[in-house]
Amino acid sequence: MDRKIGVYICECGPNISEKVDIDRVIQAVSSLNDVAVVERYKLLCSEDGKKFLVEQIKKHGITHLVVAACSPREHQQTFMEICENAGVNPYLFQLANIREQCAWITDDKDKATKKAIRLTKAAISRIRYHAPLEKKQIESNPDVLVIGGGIAGIEASLQLASPDRQVYLVEKTSSLGGMITNFEKTYPDMRPCSEILKQKMDDVDKNDNIKVFTDSEVAELLGFFGNFQVKIKTKAEEIDAVNFDVGAVVLATGSTLFDPQQISQYGYKKFDNVITSLEFEKMNLSGRITLKNGKNPKSVGIIHCVGRDKKGYCSEVCCMYSIKFVRYLKDKLSDVKVSNFYSDLCVPGKSHQQFYEKTQGKNINFIRAESIEITKKGDQLSIKYQDEKGSKNNQVVDMVILSPALEPSSDSSVLSEFTGISQGDGGFFEEEHEKLGPVTTSTEGVYIAGCSQGPKNIPDTIIQAEAVAGKILSSLIPGKKIEPEVKVSHISESFCIGCKTCLDVCSYGCITFNETKKVSVVNEVICRGCGNCVAACPSGAASLKHFTFNQIYQEVKEAVK
Amino acid sequence: MNSYSEKPDNKGAVISAKTSIPDSIKDLLKKAMENDVFDAVLIPMRVPAGDSFVYVLIQDKSLIKDASPFSPIMSVQGAKAVSSITRLGKGNLKIAAIMRPCEIRATVELTKLDQTNLENITLISMDCPGVMPISDFTKEPEKAMKLYDNAIKNLDDKIMRPVCQICDKSSMVSGDLHIGTLGAKKDTFFIISNSQKGKDILDKLGITPKEKIDSWQTKVKTISEEKQKKRKKAHKDLKAQIGGLDNLLDTFSQCINCHNCMRVCPICYCRLCYFDSDNVKHPSEDYLEIAKNKGSIRFSPDTTLFQMGRMMHMSLSCVSCGSCEDVCPMSIPVAQIFSMVADETQGLFDYIAGRDTDEPLPLRTYKEDELHEMEDAHD
Repeated sequence: MDRKIGVYICECGPNISEKVDIDRVIQAVSSLNDVAVVERYKLLCSEDGKKFLVEQIKKHGITHLVVAACSPREHQQTFMEICENAGVNPYLFQLANIREQCAWITDDKDKATKKAIRLTKAAISRIRYHAPLEKKQIESNPDVLVIGGGIAGIEASLQLASPDRQVYLVEKTSSLGGMITNFEKTYPDMRPCSEILKQKMDDVDKNDNIKVFTDSEVAELLGFFGNFQVKIKTKAEEIDAVNFDVGAVVLATGSTLFDPQQISQYGYKKFDNVITSLEFEKMNLSGRITLKNGKNPKSVGIIHCVGRDKKGYCSEVCCMYSIKFVRYLKDKLSDVKVSNFYSDLCVPGKSHQQFYEKTQGKNINFIRAESIEITKKGDQLSIKYQDEKGSKNNQVVDMVILSPALEPSSDSSVLSEFTGISQGDGGFFEEEHEKLGPVTTSTEGVYIAGCSQGPKNIPDTIIQAEAVAGKILSSLIPGKKIEPEVKVSHISESFCIGCKTCLDVCSYGCITFNETKKVSVVNEVICRGCGNCVAACPSGAASLKHFTFNQIYQEVKEAVK
Repeated sequence: MNSYSEKPDNKGAVISAKTSIPDSIKDLLKKAMENDVFDAVLIPMRVPAGDSFVYVLIQDKSLIKDASPFSPIMSVQGAKAVSSITRLGKGNLKIAAIMRPCEIRATVELTKLDQTNLENITLISMDCPGVMPISDFTKEPEKAMKLYDNAIKNLDDKIMRPVCQICDKSSMVSGDLHIGTLGAKKDTFFIISNSQKGKDILDKLGITPKEKIDSWQTKVKTISEEKQKKRKKAHKDLKAQIGGLDNLLDTFSQCINCHNCMRVCPICYCRLCYFDSDNVKHPSEDYLEIAKNKGSIRFSPDTTLFQMGRMMHMSLSCVSCGSCEDVCPMSIPVAQIFSMVADETQGLFDYIAGRDTDEPLPLRTYKEDELHEMEDAHD
């Protein structure tokens, strides 16, 4: 079949037409080989524009479509759909970005036009080497594995479980609930934590579509979106590993506390009555706030921001729960004197500032301090610090509560290996994009919720868990097949020398090694087309569909000519 | 599997040579085959015509007497032979490979790249005096043999290849066993184990490493330091000579694109070199266009690109074995250039090619905190 390339240049209203001399572009590309039609249009992404393109493709029998318009991020999908509607394979299409990369970056019309010509020619050169790619569909399993039985995991499970979707909730400790089981009350409403927890846990218990594994951990996780194979190991000795399949995985493994022993000047584990926030929550929950000698403390110092400098991030919740601790103390010991030492006070949101202000009062201090050091003074503790003005001060208290930074729980690194998702700053699971993909990850089908992604309060944790559920509910629909990525890597059996370099650089675990043939093999369903293996393969055995050597070479050659 | 990272023994065995050191080594190998310690031996041997040496895999122990553990030339890099034998699996024969330190280092690199399997291979190195350029040898082989023997006796490297003259890793680096001739008393040599496998083999042969080896260690250290100085100076001079794009283009303008260097390189393990593939062959209009733009285009084109490309692909694993230079029909100092670049690229990662099978290849290892000095290299 003869190649008939149709080139369409979008004016994008005044956006392109005012900065690029479109007629010059048309003139420059009209006589190129295989170019059958070159036309301009005022707005190709409009309904009229789409109709125009479909008609043109059919009228001229266009086999390959080049559009010179905006960024592929903006309308690549739109034009690929137009191709499909007009009966052209959507991969026989190429977009030249003459808006963001030409019209919008200079006032010099001549330069913009010259570059627009280059980019359009480059797209024409490239498209000659395009090959049609076919979409595939595969069966998917709608069930979900939720790792971590804290509030994030519980919430996600409750949202996801339904008669046609089984949820497997795996918790490493002996009971569900996670971190918040230690809390008496939540801030800022100061309502009993058990209210939230009990209701949610009852709901889990009653739900036939949630299977809970306590004292259990994930031992193996293989596969890809829609088709994961899971192996669970339970601590109870006699029970063998449990195997099941799921379509998606939710990581909700929560957080733990930074160990204040790492900073010796806080005196943790060195002096009596220096305790962490979690130890204080537990003490408070037991009903009595006491010193080691059984007496009630008359004065308490709460140190915020413990480990913040070392970790490099603010843990978001410590200021608020420290203020909550003031309430706990005042409730149980009305005469107690409480001093808060913070380096920055973090009380954002619609109700937190008010909560902070209402907590202030007699015998309650908030002191901005640095260079804090705790020493023993008789039966008491002395807090040495430097205040905002730089003067050195000293306060003697009965008890010191340290509010340490939150850290991802210890099993994060194992799970990061199992799932192929990376750990970002502080070791927290990294989301796909801070703003565009806050609960998805670099591995399709693996989602993150709660403190495993970063320090978070209870409402934010629940919001994120619900967002994860939303993502899964909309993409993993029971009975619906899924379409894996089409632009995937391929490793040529005849060129592969079996050095396994590609296995080391693949971020998605999609390459396996065929020991019989001594060649690497790509699982096209898991491959996301990142191109790492292509770049690393020394012998050019790996290539990426739609980004083949020739396609890129022809495009670049024309662009830099 | 093989780990040479542990400190080698501070003791070795001293073997007295009855007739000559090579004969004594061959006797030991024969004995090892008789005792089923090895099923076969991979060792250099002079070809019947006398004008070259090749590797032979000997399974008939009566043939060992014809082998030449110290061959004067390196017409085949031993790592390629080991790879030919074991690339598709370890096989069931226990093989001793008698090779020079640079050949063993290349073997170690190929092991990391899954091109050899060392499970059944015992690597035995020796103190290498260097080898002569192949072309010097083939001109007058008999005369060359005498020259070489004299050079070994007097530890004189003037007749050796330039890259051998600046080799600072000519003694034990990796491998299982080492034959130390430096610092040994007349008509004796040391056998030193460098891995658990090496120790086990000495044990099976009834050899107990109980003698001190400081005289060998001292001599090796002296020579290596001397060569290191020479190497640094040679590289500095070379850099002055070929540095900069113009000098580089000049240096490689003699290249005839025969790709011999790539074919003999032990590290160039690709099935099809990228530079032999269709990816570097272009439609005629491309050539015409370059000719139009630049006035003319030379053929073969892209010779410097080939050299640079090969350098990028293999310099981190280059062991400076010199094979490439030996086969260059245009006498381009390829090995000297590559050894200079390799020292620098490997230095960036604190990596020494062929030091240990357990040492990961830098390009396959991702460290977040490294190479910051390269981040603003374009400024």
